[in-house]
Amino acid sequence: MAVTTSDRSAAPTTTRAVVSVRDLVKTYGTGDATVHALAGVSLDIAERRFTAVMGPSGSGKSTLMHVMAGLDTPTSGAVRVCGVDLARLSDRKLTQLRRDRVGFVFQSFNLVPTLSARENIELPSVLAGRKVDREWFDTVVRITGLRDRLRHRPAELSGGQQQRVAVARALLARPAVIFADEPTGNLDSRAGADILGFMRHAVDALGQTIVIVTHDPNAASYADEVVFLADGRVVDLIASPTTARVLERMKAFGD
Amino acid sequence: MTRVILNDLWSRKRRLAGMFTAVLVGVAFLAGTLVLGDSVRNSFGTLFTEANRDTDAVVRSTHRITAEGVTAQGDIPESLVGTVARVDGVTAAAPLVEGQAQLLGVDGDRVGGNGPPTTGSNWVTPAALNPWRIVAGRAPAGAGEVVIDRAAADDGGLHVGSRTTVLVPQPVPVTVVGVATFGGADSMAGTTFTAFTTAEAQRLLLGRPGALTGVLVHGADGVDQSALVARLRTALPPDVTAITGHQLTAEQRDDVDRAFVGFFQTVLLVFAGVALLVAAFSIYNAFSIVTAQRARESALLRALGASRRQVMIAAAMQGLIVGAVASIVGVVMGIGLAAGLYALMGAVGFGVPDAGLTLTASHVAVAAAVGVAVAVPASLVPAVRASRVRPIAAMQEGTTEATAPSRKRTVTGLVATGAGVVLVVAGALSGGFGMVAPGALLTVVGLVLLGPAVARPASALLGTPSTVLRGATGSLARRNAMRNPRSTAGAATALMIGIAVVTVFTVLAASIKASIGDVVRRDFHGDLVMVNNDPSGSGVDPALVGRLEALPEVRDATGFGIAHAVVAGSGETVAAADAAALGRVVDLHVAHGALADVGPAGVAVSQRFADDHGLAVGGHVPVQFGNGAGADLRVGAIFDRGSTFGDVVVSEALWAANTQQPAFTGVFVSLADGAPFAAGRAAVDRVARADAAPDVQDRAQYLEGVSSRVDVLLAIVYVFLALAILIAFMGIANTLSLSLHERTRELGLLRAVGLTRSQLRATVRWESVIIALFGVIGGVAAGVLVGWGLTRSFAGDVPLDVFSAPVGLLALIALVGAAAGVLAAVRPARRAAKLPVLTALSTT
Repeated sequence: MAVTTSDRSAAPTTTRAVVSVRDLVKTYGTGDATVHALAGVSLDIAERRFTAVMGPSGSGKSTLMHVMAGLDTPTSGAVRVCGVDLARLSDRKLTQLRRDRVGFVFQSFNLVPTLSARENIELPSVLAGRKVDREWFDTVVRITGLRDRLRHRPAELSGGQQQRVAVARALLARPAVIFADEPTGNLDSRAGADILGFMRHAVDALGQTIVIVTHDPNAASYADEVVFLADGRVVDLIASPTTARVLERMKAFGD
Repeated sequence: MTRVILNDLWSRKRRLAGMFTAVLVGVAFLAGTLVLGDSVRNSFGTLFTEANRDTDAVVRSTHRITAEGVTAQGDIPESLVGTVARVDGVTAAAPLVEGQAQLLGVDGDRVGGNGPPTTGSNWVTPAALNPWRIVAGRAPAGAGEVVIDRAAADDGGLHVGSRTTVLVPQPVPVTVVGVATFGGADSMAGTTFTAFTTAEAQRLLLGRPGALTGVLVHGADGVDQSALVARLRTALPPDVTAITGHQLTAEQRDDVDRAFVGFFQTVLLVFAGVALLVAAFSIYNAFSIVTAQRARESALLRALGASRRQVMIAAAMQGLIVGAVASIVGVVMGIGLAAGLYALMGAVGFGVPDAGLTLTASHVAVAAAVGVAVAVPASLVPAVRASRVRPIAAMQEGTTEATAPSRKRTVTGLVATGAGVVLVVAGALSGGFGMVAPGALLTVVGLVLLGPAVARPASALLGTPSTVLRGATGSLARRNAMRNPRSTAGAATALMIGIAVVTVFTVLAASIKASIGDVVRRDFHGDLVMVNNDPSGSGVDPALVGRLEALPEVRDATGFGIAHAVVAGSGETVAAADAAALGRVVDLHVAHGALADVGPAGVAVSQRFADDHGLAVGGHVPVQFGNGAGADLRVGAIFDRGSTFGDVVVSEALWAANTQQPAFTGVFVSLADGAPFAAGRAAVDRVARADAAPDVQDRAQYLEGVSSRVDVLLAIVYVFLALAILIAFMGIANTLSLSLHERTRELGLLRAVGLTRSQLRATVRWESVIIALFGVIGGVAAGVLVGWGLTRSFAGDVPLDVFSAPVGLLALIALVGAAAGVLAAVRPARRAAKLPVLTALSTT
């Protein structure tokens, strides 16, 4: 569950923030051409919850995710992942943090084309030089239904299967948080529903923390909470969202 | 359309930089070689024109043999000076005596030589016909007096009044009475010049009073040179002729060209050719990758209405532009290179006359055209491929994953490689160089064709150690090397060709060393050797042999000389020796007859020569020497192998009688039985030193000397080939850059999921090493095969009886290749690692 500083959440007080950002500002360009992608965002991502970040185009939702995931650096403000201040990390430490504590699912091009599905799933562990937990691997593969696809190359998998491999890769490392950027953007509605179902299941059954960026109200309805961004600011939160409520809220933006 | 092409080219300048450099370096080398050759040649031309300015004609013997830059000629009687002077239109006639005179410096060391001749001559009078001007002292007036050139004086620490020795080849004590310059220059192109009085020159250089090398003629003003020559000829006896001063200049220029410039330039051109060939492969590969990468763009152009022709021209034009611009810059750089080398040659005393740089328009144009000719065809094949893309491809999602290598290409490659190997092996076994050479070419072409088919399994195999050693990064590197076999093979091919050439030379050098070692160990029974290693210096005085034999410590001493003679109608380089004495120190493997039976009017020939000329022991061979004298020599012995002494050994006595300044190239000594080696050597040393003979070497020293000379040659070859290898590695770097560019998003993804920068660099590095090893191993394998074939096909000839593949050296080459692969990866890897993750991820 996401909690703003002006706390209006219904979150259980026992949960702690996996990711917390304070007064986040991100600007591009200078002078007249300055664009404020983020204009002072403070936000906590609660543990074991499924959070969706929504907003119209240019609202800063992707930038927010990139900054929270350590892929981009803010102009000012602080980002903490599992209590670690990202601003203090070298590129190497930051990479290790991404590898060990953060999982990623992108909209497309999620997989290394030269590696098989199994190798893609194991990649972060292998890069870290860690032994893969066989039992956990089997569990993840079972959940994502990839058992008989493990030897295939990405080019031999459907779009939905590729995204499932990406989700499996993210889950395998048991990261503190998984960020997914429009994970269903390139999928048909059935495959998209599958992916979102897996994510929901991962949160409920495995206690995984997941943040997705989406503009699809249906996708957002799978989340525990929806954070609305507009013009680089958090403008609203909806707990236990439904497609209808999200759609209604978005209409208010005139999006 | 032109605009589209230019814009496209500009937007890809970074990717084209690699190809640009490859053409540029190759063309610069080629242009530099041509310009340097022209300049040196032209300088000599200027020099000779200057020297012969007042010489309108030269009278000399009709008997001349020029072989391997050495001219042997007959002499003419001195009385002809008077005859010539009386010819109508002649205002001055000067006697000329020329030969070889090796000047020793104040420290007893030889001055000059090692390339430029060590000329001995008479001091020519009248002054009008003498290009030398005395700047200190006076002309020689009596026995033992010489004038030397200022460069030699400086080099040898000599000045007017210095006493020193001149080897002709017997040592002659002389006093320097004058120092001269050549038309203002300190020396004539690095040639040392020692002038005696005419009488002394006749005695020392010709060995005959009353003989001359020629008569220099100055004609009256207004008399045409050829008219003068025509008049002279009518007045001359039958075996004496006259040529014009212009002809003399042309002849001298040609001699220098043949002996020095031409050879030098040909060698450089061969290396430039290798470099350009490697460059062509690099360019072809780079263009192929670029073309594949922008297949969608070509398809878009097609969809928008561009014809196939237009798309093809667009792609080919880029090759033309890259080739043209790189060629122009390359030519400019080449001229700079030539200027630098020219200055360097002057600085290290190579003896090149300084007449400035000569730019021959046709040669400059050739260099530029070759650059374009390399770039355009290399871009044409990919251009045709680009034009074949269907317009619909523009709409299709998809990466430019490599297509499988075509079956036709693989089959052709297999057939060519197979046929090539068969030819090489067959040629090697039958001693046919004519089969080995095309076989070698065919093998290399076949391997090039096979490249893409082999690249995937080869990378898989070569990448296995990296996977084991480096885990994830090694494994990624291996996959990346395997993923596009065409570009992997393309980059490796360029390197393979360069390494193959390096390997051939390495194998040949090792085989030569092994062969000579073998001959010395097996066939040489003597204890000590003296070898004249400077063909332009004086050899060993034959009289030394007699003095050595007189030593109680010496059992046998014998020497051999080299002569250029017409044998059975064709010019040959023959050895001259006392066959019986030679046979006591060296085992010539006599098959028929006996060396003791050869005698002064006999000859010993190799089995091959005997077979070629249908000779048997007792048969006769006509031999004519440079002075025109000849004889039918009786074949006294036929020896098995043509090693060391060539195919024909004539008698020392006959050679000495018909050769101006006969000198031995080598002298062999056997010590007396029971004589302690050290004492024997000391005695021989004393005699040799008194004669200023070459250093006395024992067997080990001799072998070491041969080895080190071969090694020096090999090192020079390596330096020149380094350029081709450099281009090949630039090709690998370029291929890596291009394929990393293609994989930008993937790199972003890898970085996002936890690949550290150093892991990314390691991945690129290992990929580079795998490609480099693929090329190096292919090259070494092809090189060893070809080297073996060449060695075997030469077997029986000098001096290549033994094939030797220096395993350690070849392993070192492979290791250096792999290390260079690491270097080639530095820049592409750094650039890829610097890429911000988000930027990479958002690349389309």
